Amino acid sequence: MALLEIKNLHASVAGKEILKGITLNLEPGEVHAIMGPNGTGKSTLSNVIAGRDGYEVTKGQVLLDGEDVLAMAADERARAGIFLAFQYPVEIPGVTTSAFLKTALNAKRRAEGKKEIDAMDFLKLVKAKTAVLGMPYDMIKRALNVGFSGGEKKRAEVLQMTMLEPRVAILDETDSGLDIDALKVVSDGVNSLRSPDRAFLVITHYQRLLDYIVPDHVHVLANGRVMATGGKELALELEAEGYAKYLETAA
Amino acid sequence: MKPSLITDHPFGEAYAKRLGVSPWGGNLPGPKVEEWRFTPLRSLAKIAFAPATAKVDAIPNNVPLIAGAARLVLVNGTYRKDLSTVDLGKGVEVYQGKVSAKQGSSLVALNAAYAPQSLALHVTGVAKKVIHIISISAAGSEPAVAHPRINVTAENGSSVTLLESHVGLPGQTYFSNPVASIAVGEGATVRRYVSVDEDSEAFHLATSLVNVAAGGIFEGFHLGLGGALVRQEIRVALTGENAKVHLNGAYALGGASHHDFTTVMDHQVPNCASSQVFKGVVDGESHGVYQGRIHVARDAQKTDARQVHKALFLSRGPQIDCKPELEIYADDVQCAHGAATGEIDANHLFYLAARGIDPETARSLLVEGFLADAVNEINTETVRDLFGSAISAWLKKREVRA
Ligand SMILES: Nc1ncnc2c1ncn2[C@@H]1O[C@H](COP(=O)(O)OP(=O)(O)O)[C@@H](O)[C@H]1O
Ligand SMILES: [Mg+2]
Repeated sequence: MALLEIKNLHASVAGKEILKGITLNLEPGEVHAIMGPNGTGKSTLSNVIAGRDGYEVTKGQVLLDGEDVLAMAADERARAGIFLAFQYPVEIPGVTTSAFLKTALNAKRRAEGKKEIDAMDFLKLVKAKTAVLGMPYDMIKRALNVGFSGGEKKRAEVLQMTMLEPRVAILDETDSGLDIDALKVVSDGVNSLRSPDRAFLVITHYQRLLDYIVPDHVHVLANGRVMATGGKELALELEAEGYAKYLETAA
Repeated sequence: MKPSLITDHPFGEAYAKRLGVSPWGGNLPGPKVEEWRFTPLRSLAKIAFAPATAKVDAIPNNVPLIAGAARLVLVNGTYRKDLSTVDLGKGVEVYQGKVSAKQGSSLVALNAAYAPQSLALHVTGVAKKVIHIISISAAGSEPAVAHPRINVTAENGSSVTLLESHVGLPGQTYFSNPVASIAVGEGATVRRYVSVDEDSEAFHLATSLVNVAAGGIFEGFHLGLGGALVRQEIRVALTGENAKVHLNGAYALGGASHHDFTTVMDHQVPNCASSQVFKGVVDGESHGVYQGRIHVARDAQKTDARQVHKALFLSRGPQIDCKPELEIYADDVQCAHGAATGEIDANHLFYLAARGIDPETARSLLVEGFLADAVNEINTETVRDLFGSAISAWLKKREVRA
């Protein structure tokens, strides 16, 4: 059984159908990349899986280990192991990164029947993880994402991911706004989490990221449908030829 | 600008009759007085209050304490040496002073007429211990009124940190009418942190009169959590050049609680700065009021005066009234005010949910975060933590109710 199964998923926003029947199977240990032009439904797909309000699923299913994800509230999905690294992480004034991380970590631990992490262990963990990502440890004292540069926000997303150790991680254009050094650091962070029982859905606009996070499968999403699926060479082909051929087919 | 008196206010009559005197004119501000427009005293006026007489033999356990502080306890306005710390440490002395019947608002006059004695603090040096003033109201079987009076005189170059907790015994109807007058001397620093967490049946109408001399620093913080009808009116006069005032506050209201924060920042001389950050969250059928007046006199050039009020609605039932007033007669000044109300941002909630945080915990985190802007202005760590915990406790109680 696949770790995450997306079966014939249709979803609309404000009465307009955006996802028009998407089927994807993420086996444990796999990295799937989704590429596609802007406005094609990539963020919609990630939001529907993560459970954001305002999206209406009109048909289809999403299953995590065979469990109906769409029946769960957003926070339950996260505790079940779905993680979305946001394309646009929100700034939350007044809430320190540290308080946020600790609350999130403890929510997960409670769901797993573990007791809350003690303060010293928490600090140790954050120190280790921030060091790997080349982030100053002090950033956890700052308000969540407030005043972070684009790159810092993306690193903070990956920091959260490495702390929460999800089963399925969806990265929505985590590479946008990153310079080449940051891209390497973030990719290293992602690669460090790759494991036989975890799967990734990496949404990107550029082939570049996939040089660092090497996918097992690449899908082309256009006009709300998966138009093509292939290996990592498909990403190179898209880079060279663009999406025109898939958009024509869709029309 | 003083509130006018109305002569036939029922509360005034009833109260005066019980006491057999009427030295202040026997009046409370009525609804036609502009400064009291958002805080009508009708409910207060209906109750016949007697002078408070109930006995209290210990500090109630709902008063949060901080370690190492010197405690001064007032019960119904009367200083209780037996419940207080005798040794306040260096730089500050306490004594009981006479209350002068200074002219002021009708509430100040009322206080002056009935305050048993003032709790007077004379700050002569750098006081190290936090002075924690605990004002307890205890009515007994009948509704009761008390008039606590606190006078603080900080000599030139001195400094002191004051924490005031205003509480009452639970389940009693009482009216506390405290007045604090605070003189900050030249180059002196006074930090004053006030927490009003009265019982849900309680009335609390507090007036603070602050004077800051040249080079003096006044840092005030006002926390509002509980009480049926509460007003914290803070009037600050900056009377010497280079005086600095930070006046901030936070409130969290539920049920039918009404809290009014009225501030008057009176810039009388040049080169002074004042800033205000007030933030509140409202739930249930509560009502929050912020009225902030900034007055800059004609020759108070180079004044820097700022004020912000923001409120967050936790449900659709509450009401917020916000009234900034800038009266600026000097031309070379920087003055700014901002006001905003809103609800918890759905994008924020989703972000936290996407990290596995349940909706109630997420709301609490966001509310504490919203109030943090104001609470973080508190420069004394122990007090910042104390007030932060008080807000967390309020949120926990709210979760239980919800
Ligand atoms: N909340 C929303 N309200 C209205 N339209 C939306 C909303 N979210 C997405 N859309 C629309 O759905 C389409 C797909 O958007 P999106 O999923 O963000 O694309 P991508 O991530 O591939 O760039 C776009 O036409 C966009 O305008
Ligand atoms: Mg997108």
